[in-house]
Amino acid sequence: MTHDVGSVPALRADRLGKRYGHAWGLRDCTFEVPPGSIVGLVGPNGAGKTTLLALTVGLLAPTEGQVAVFGERSRAQDAATLARVSYLAQDHPLYRGFTVADMFRFGRSLNPSWDAGLAQARMAALGIPLKRKVKSLSGGQQAQVALTMALAKRAPMLLLDEPVASLDPLARLDFMRDVLAASAESGLTVLIASHVIAELERLCDWLLVLNGGRLQLAGAVDDLLAGHAVLTVPRDAANRSLPGRVIERADSDRHAAVLVAAAPGLVATAAARPGWAAGPAGFEQLVLAYLRRAPVAAVHPGPVGTSGTAMAS
Amino acid sequence: MIWVTWRQHRVQALAMLGVFVIVAVYGLALGLWMRSAFDSRGLGPCLTSSGGADCGAAISSFARQVTGGATLPLTLVMFAIPPIIGAVVGAPLLGQELERGTWQLAWSQTVPRTRWLIVKLGLVIAGLAAFGAAVTGVMTWAWGPLDLIGIRLTPPPFNFEGVSLTCSVLCGFGLALLAGLLLRNTIGAMVAGYFAYDIPFVVSTLATGPLHLLTATTTVNCAGTACSAASTNSTPPVTGHLGDMVTSVTHAGQQLVVSYVPASDFWPLQFITGGIYLAFAVTAIGTAVWLLHRRTT
Repeated sequence: MTHDVGSVPALRADRLGKRYGHAWGLRDCTFEVPPGSIVGLVGPNGAGKTTLLALTVGLLAPTEGQVAVFGERSRAQDAATLARVSYLAQDHPLYRGFTVADMFRFGRSLNPSWDAGLAQARMAALGIPLKRKVKSLSGGQQAQVALTMALAKRAPMLLLDEPVASLDPLARLDFMRDVLAASAESGLTVLIASHVIAELERLCDWLLVLNGGRLQLAGAVDDLLAGHAVLTVPRDAANRSLPGRVIERADSDRHAAVLVAAAPGLVATAAARPGWAAGPAGFEQLVLAYLRRAPVAAVHPGPVGTSGTAMAS
Repeated sequence: MIWVTWRQHRVQALAMLGVFVIVAVYGLALGLWMRSAFDSRGLGPCLTSSGGADCGAAISSFARQVTGGATLPLTLVMFAIPPIIGAVVGAPLLGQELERGTWQLAWSQTVPRTRWLIVKLGLVIAGLAAFGAAVTGVMTWAWGPLDLIGIRLTPPPFNFEGVSLTCSVLCGFGLALLAGLLLRNTIGAMVAGYFAYDIPFVVSTLATGPLHLLTATTTVNCAGTACSAASTNSTPPVTGHLGDMVTSVTHAGQQLVVSYVPASDFWPLQFITGGIYLAFAVTAIGTAVWLLHRRTT
């Protein structure tokens, strides 16, 4: 599958919002993701991760704004939207009384682009007999059957909602290895909602952080890491004397460790001051810092975006 | 979609087939037994020659023999089958998908959910209607001899002949379907659907029974003791026409004023009762489709 990397983003949200009754599940969400990315979607429970996925596959209709997959707007009740996106829901639901072969026939009946060869080859490689009932399979095997169904749909975008939450560590590794292999093989763009930050660090080259229904951080992982630094400064250094935006600050007896979003040049200049030092920000540290602070209303499209208020802690 | 519907409902389809086989075996035995009792009294020739006027004693004796314990299962069929079959088939169609989370799988394939539901409903309703028609056919045949001499305007035959049974099965199905969508729980929806079915059942029973919507009045000449002996439950009825349901008889000199439901009103009454059941079914199913369609907003 080839897509024009230069022009059309694989996924693009434009002021996307979804209201449930009076409460907003997701609001003012704007970002772009290039084709072929493995995107980590992080946020606490209720942050809007599943809402974003459901809007993308068209299980929900947005209250405002829009989300587009490869330039085509996602719509609810629309076969074309459904055909563009494979969705693997949380706890990988399957019909427990079906055999694996039944599940695949279900997939074939409901998807014109179904790849029966891929489904059978994967089951053969995994040693899962097609005649086995779903309920007699282990959790890891069920997840693999569900992943296989999502892959055999042959959609260019794959959404995974907490795909490994119920799996043991070995099954997790196998599952994620297969996701990566499939992505590499067919140029699939993958969006993984997960609480396991360490896993996302290993897999993802793009990151979206949601909190309280608001997008807190979005961008390529390398750019985000390059655009943040940890400064060690004297405790009496005021936040306004620090470069860029202060994301998180931890004060100890004499020093303060401050995670800042700032261009590398500014960080280098600051680190040259006497008593100041700078180090790189870690992936997990960065994600946790953005999750820990109160949700910010405005979107930060990049690490050093100028919109939005700097949050001084 | 056809295969998917079959795969998800085949256990229910086989259960319905099983119920039908039991009903058919019972109906066959009952029908043959009724026919032998009917023939042993020479009722066929008597009805043909006199139109029932000369066979009052034979009719009464036949009716006494065949309308006892042997027909009790018919009453169970007419009361239990529609809400139970309806609940068993209707409740899981949406309730189980929502309860087990498989809706996320079903509705994220390339078929939009409203089309998914409409195709499924079309096939399942066709199956239920075929089941209702088949049970009705067997029961109508089995009850045939009694229909020749008696009244099919009241239960039990009224509720399993004509269109009544089929419409009430669809009604039970629609109510349980909607309950499944609202409760997101299969067992809860079965129970709710089963009890909700009481509402259309009571409404249709009142409309076609005690309310006597289609009552006609006629006067019959009589003489002497025949006038004082005339009652609502004579055989054949005082109207002289087998199958009429006499509701009241009053004396006026040498005449009887008779209120009755003519036997020919069987079909109008069937359409009233079927229409009531279908109105509930269409409302419930339509609401379910509409709710599912707009759940995305």
